[in-house]
Amino acid sequence: MFLALHEMGRARVRFGLLIGAVGLLVFLILTQQAIQGGLITGFVGAIRQQSAPVLVYSVDGQRTLQGSVIAPGLESAVRAVPGVAEAGRIGQGTFTVRVDGGAESDAALIGYEHPGLGDPSRLSAGRRPQAPTEAVGSAADFTVGSRVRIVPGGSTGAAGPVFTVVGLVEDAQIQVTPTLFVPWAGYEAAVRAANPDATTILPSVIGVRPTAGLSDAELARRINAASADADALTRSQAASDTPGVAQVQQSFQLIFLLYGLVVPLVTGLFFLIITFQKAAALTLLRAIGARSGTLVRSLLVQVVLVVGGGIVIGIALFTPLTFLKLGAITIRFDPTAVLVWSALLLVLGLASAMVAARRVLAIDPLEATTGGGGL
Amino acid sequence: MTLALREMRRRPGRFAIATVILTLIALLLMFLGGLLDGLVASSTGAFRSQQADLLVYSSSSRNSLERSRITPEVRQQVASVAGVAHVGGLGSAQLGGRIPGRGTRDLVPTVLFGYELAPRGLPATPPAPGTAYADDSLRAKGVAVGTVIHLGPARSAVTVVGFVSDTRYTGQGTLWGSLPTWREVLNANRPDARVGPGVVQALVVQAGPGSGAGLAGRVDRATGGATSALTITQAIDALPGVAQQRSVFNQIIGVTVVIAVVVVALFFALLTVERTALYGVLKAIGSSSRTLFAGVVLQAVVVALVASLIGIAASLALDALIPAGTIPFVATPARLASSAVILVVAAVVGCAFSLRRVLRIDPAAAIGGTP
Repeated sequence: MFLALHEMGRARVRFGLLIGAVGLLVFLILTQQAIQGGLITGFVGAIRQQSAPVLVYSVDGQRTLQGSVIAPGLESAVRAVPGVAEAGRIGQGTFTVRVDGGAESDAALIGYEHPGLGDPSRLSAGRRPQAPTEAVGSAADFTVGSRVRIVPGGSTGAAGPVFTVVGLVEDAQIQVTPTLFVPWAGYEAAVRAANPDATTILPSVIGVRPTAGLSDAELARRINAASADADALTRSQAASDTPGVAQVQQSFQLIFLLYGLVVPLVTGLFFLIITFQKAAALTLLRAIGARSGTLVRSLLVQVVLVVGGGIVIGIALFTPLTFLKLGAITIRFDPTAVLVWSALLLVLGLASAMVAARRVLAIDPLEATTGGGGL
Repeated sequence: MTLALREMRRRPGRFAIATVILTLIALLLMFLGGLLDGLVASSTGAFRSQQADLLVYSSSSRNSLERSRITPEVRQQVASVAGVAHVGGLGSAQLGGRIPGRGTRDLVPTVLFGYELAPRGLPATPPAPGTAYADDSLRAKGVAVGTVIHLGPARSAVTVVGFVSDTRYTGQGTLWGSLPTWREVLNANRPDARVGPGVVQALVVQAGPGSGAGLAGRVDRATGGATSALTITQAIDALPGVAQQRSVFNQIIGVTVVIAVVVVALFFALLTVERTALYGVLKAIGSSSRTLFAGVVLQAVVVALVASLIGIAASLALDALIPAGTIPFVATPARLASSAVILVVAAVVGCAFSLRRVLRIDPAAAIGGTP
């Protein structure tokens, strides 16, 4: 223990560089983990947070709210499926808005026909809308009392509807855009203001609740069997099957794998070279009675200190980022992710030092008396 | 120099782990860059292919093609601006496409564009109503010349009459038809997004010779602020996510390069420490510090080059192996070459940290047995 710390103290630059490199790698891994989580929450958070247990898209919608349009015939067919206890229209669109009279910005509106089918499952602040001009907003983007005016399209000169935010919901964006949940009548008014040429306002999806005793998955299966144009998904399926989500996860997994390999390789290489360099000293220590277990423990202490130091630096660099927003993406400090990565990197670091440890164990103290000492 | 190369030949194992680490870093640089290129290419092709100086949106659209509406009156105002040579309408509709031979639920996401001024690779005159040119990425989905694609819930039929390259939009394959084809398909399938007669989503503007400078401002002033005129580059950057993707990926690539510098610095610092005595002897028999350091740099460059070559081969293999429609990765020669150059420069910078140590070696001490 004393030897390990003393050696690190004497070779501060060398160990400092390694700790710095590991720290940067940990910072990158944690940042990208947070970006991945933030991106996916930003893409589909509203789908996860809405209250309908089953969402019925049109097959043409390709499992996106903005691409799906439910024709009247399909809506009737869905409502008629045995096992449907309740069904309600849900619409989604992106609009140009002014929040509290500020500059123009984007906002996604999710309109729901029935409370409990498309509105947020639970609020983090405020109350639910009681009028078509009231809304629940994504907590990262709005505050209770915010007034959101829809900027009208075309040249009619008409003023767009204004929504007052009366409640907030966490992690409820769609398409990485500030999101408002509004009653259906308010949604219709917003669509007509944005596009005066719009004729019929059709729902994007139908939110459905099964009768008592029927599972969400079974109801989705029945609806899909009833109509070739229906694409019914449970809430969790709708979130995970949204186009782009799987690709984001696959891309990041590959990136994590590569970074995860670099950390133990850098650490392992470092300690292997160090062990080679001090071969003569280690042989001498063995010759004067130091046990190989003591020397290996000393090596492992250094590995733990280096990887641990890197993890501390990485977390220290990452933490300030979690107070910022990356565009519309919220970067969260996820203690579970931080702990898992820290433990994984520590284990990988220790595993990578095993090659160096084997070299230490292979030292023959007799070499000291013969002028050897190479490994 | 010869000594440095000979050492690498005789003791390749000494450099193997550093090469493996740098190979992983090279692969990371190339993969991150390729991912960025793939994302951007699949989102922006429709705009990059425009042979125009400006794209003009309605001012309330926040430069979103889908939300923008340009009326015939506004179009007339734009066309009358001094310096505007040609004006064409542009419209888009994102719809699922039913392609013969695929399952009834196996639709292909497509974007139908209506155009008047032809993008690169398309004939000057838009195809006849009900027909369209397809982006060649749709070939992989089973589209061929003569294929009839049924678009959207209204099953609007569009017949493919040819192909065009690199025109994808928001990650989807595109179809290019006339404005009447687009208007008919949009109005049939998206009643909430329908457009009136003569209305388009955006205008494509070609400037007259020498008239490009300041044209965007003149267009917006002429329409009384009803429009938002952007250069093609600005319009590409305004596409959702493009600027953010570039920024985030470039920052990640930057930090990865710093890690490469630190890894190389660490490795060669350790090697130099190990060879201090040897360098002392070499200095004692006449080698200069410059010669010794040049050897270190040469070894770093060789390690980085080998790592880059393996990284390039692995990237090309990834590009070939990743199924279409999954990870949007493309390995372009420019990206691979620039990543290799960056890695070599990082290696040279990294090994430069050993320069001070090489300069400090005292040949007398080395001969005297004090390393």
